[in-house]
Amino acid sequence: MSQAQLNPDAPSPDPGRWLDEHGDYLFKYASFRLRDDNAAEDAVQETFLAALKAYEKFEGRGSERTWLVGILKHKIIDHIRKAQREAPIGEDVDEGPDHGEFFERTDQWTGHWDANHAPTDWHATPAELIERSDFWVVFNDCLSPLPQRTASAFTLREVDGLKSEEICEILSISVNNLWVMLHRARLHLRNCLEMNWFKR
Amino acid sequence: MALKAYEKLKHAIRYWLLRKLPTCQQTVEKISQSMERKLTLRERIDVKLHLWICAWCQWYLEHLQIIRETARAKGAESSDLESVSPSLSADARERIRRKLAGES
Repeated sequence: MSQAQLNPDAPSPDPGRWLDEHGDYLFKYASFRLRDDNAAEDAVQETFLAALKAYEKFEGRGSERTWLVGILKHKIIDHIRKAQREAPIGEDVDEGPDHGEFFERTDQWTGHWDANHAPTDWHATPAELIERSDFWVVFNDCLSPLPQRTASAFTLREVDGLKSEEICEILSISVNNLWVMLHRARLHLRNCLEMNWFKR
Repeated sequence: MALKAYEKLKHAIRYWLLRKLPTCQQTVEKISQSMERKLTLRERIDVKLHLWICAWCQWYLEHLQIIRETARAKGAESSDLESVSPSLSADARERIRRKLAGES
């Protein structure tokens, strides 16, 4: 007699249903963080495969989606870890753009905001922005020109809220490099959102 | 008359501070770091004084906070992700389905 016959009530994994019920959500979750459809598809597939292997540990406790997202988070970080090994750090730090053009260069106001880049009132709250679907299109477009490691650092910090030490470990960078990257990402993203969303 | 003199004095103080204090370019770097670590007392005073005289850097700080709060809310697990990206493509869905069928 097989295990299933002995205990007919024991749930068996149903990956086809997982894919139907959670596939889209997991893909969007990964795609929002990786900004790369192929990488996001791979992460979803790896998540389901790992979930099949680890199914005994789940045993129907808690929400299935929470369990799957928990696995997916690790797969996303694995991907970021692997991708950053292949990219030189120069474009993130030393050779990267420091956005000096946002500031005056010539007269006695050197280092103060240039008129074309000075921040203005956004007249917006997070609660409103979260609901605006077109805002997220602009948000993603604005992150895409950033160097890969800088964009990962930004996402891990501002979307996932990871601690500095965790991010430095994942990206193999010093905390000073992390601060430089986050600062440049914020300068760029803030300006890009203002130009393409708030001022249109 | 007295009001006018007061406004003039305030303007002069602001102008003097603007020339003495770290520039906007230096201040926005500190504003960013203030979201990562506790600034030293000296840094905090410089940023505070700069913000007192510079509306642009005030907006900058507010925008960084809006971006963080908005991104974290969207990143929360319960959040509606409908709009952040297209759906899983039919091709990818089929590929994953085949792979899973082979494994289970």
